[in-house]
Amino acid sequence: MNADPQKKSRARKRLLTLGAVILALLAVNLAIPRKKVPPYVGVRTLKDLAELATIEYSVTKIVSYKDVAWYGDRKILFEAAATVKAGIDLNELTDQDIKLDNDSTVTISLPAPKILLFNMKPENMREIFNESGILRSDFSNQEKDGLLSQGEKDIRAKVAGMDILQRAARNARILVESWLKKMGFEAVRVVFKDQRGRP
Amino acid sequence: MKRILAVLQIILLLAILFMLYSPLAKIGLLPSLGSIFHTQQPRIDETPVIIQQVKNIAQMFTQTFYDEYVYDTGIIRTPLLSVNKRLIFIAKGEVISGFDLSELSEKSIIRRDKSIVVKLPPARILDVVINPSGFDTFIEEGEITFEESKKFHEDARRIFDRNARDKGILKNSTEQGRQMLEKFFRLLGFETVDIIIQQG
Repeated sequence: MNADPQKKSRARKRLLTLGAVILALLAVNLAIPRKKVPPYVGVRTLKDLAELATIEYSVTKIVSYKDVAWYGDRKILFEAAATVKAGIDLNELTDQDIKLDNDSTVTISLPAPKILLFNMKPENMREIFNESGILRSDFSNQEKDGLLSQGEKDIRAKVAGMDILQRAARNARILVESWLKKMGFEAVRVVFKDQRGRP
Repeated sequence: MKRILAVLQIILLLAILFMLYSPLAKIGLLPSLGSIFHTQQPRIDETPVIIQQVKNIAQMFTQTFYDEYVYDTGIIRTPLLSVNKRLIFIAKGEVISGFDLSELSEKSIIRRDKSIVVKLPPARILDVVINPSGFDTFIEEGEITFEESKKFHEDARRIFDRNARDKGILKNSTEQGRQMLEKFFRLLGFETVDIIIQQG
């Protein structure tokens, strides 16, 4: 008969102890600040280049993302634009790549063309649609940057599969031929090396 | 009564476990609960890339300036009932400078036997590149709209441009362009090469 009140008082004591432990832990939690990794700022450097860009593609892509959940959806849509420039790296040009037959005939072996620059300017990006359910948080700036980064990656991959390098080579040939003719060469032959640098 | 006490004890024990875990997650010793439940990276939908314009250009890149900058908007005060805003991000990118050779005319190249004179336009900044992958948000407080964030990103590009000019990108670009063309013309057999670059 007396066992029940004893058990009850023991349970109450246990609850009180647990409560006290929780309060103590809550205080510890509030006292510890969230860890923030300090931003690393790298060294500013200038570097020499010797590149000739001969073609510029302006492309667009719709970046869309749907975050579907049972407690509500989030949907966002951007229009992103990028500029891609391709051409040749003249640093790869060596003495052996220019052959003079006489004062008026020249053969030049140019390096294989490549993509030299990829630029997605913020002013060319537009948020077309953005909607979040009542129980969902809005898209944060970090999330938007992450989605646009994926768009950037996709544009890079798809542009590389287009005919940009062939056009860059064709324009480089036209440019070099016209300059050398302006310099007085009568016969100009332009050839391209392959990706491994072989003629 | 017994059951209620037992349930209460379980709830309190779970709360204790959570509170033991939370400070360790805060200091980075354990992954946060949020990251455990949201491991999947969002994937954008598959959409095509459309070519809007193809332009033939003749630009000679002679200098690049790599930069990293911590951009802090400071606290942006908002109306009484709204939360103040603040955005700190790290921007990484490059500034490219060089010459626009499409400005060259017939009169820009003069050849006399083994001598050549080439007149170039002034070196200028051709591109400032900070792509979306070059922006890293560090602190984001309050609701920052896309248009606001775009303005800050554009401002970061202007800072990159200014920093590159302060570091002497145009002077270096001019010098590198001169050296590069001299080397090229000598390979073509010219003995005297004179590169004249207009002042910007």
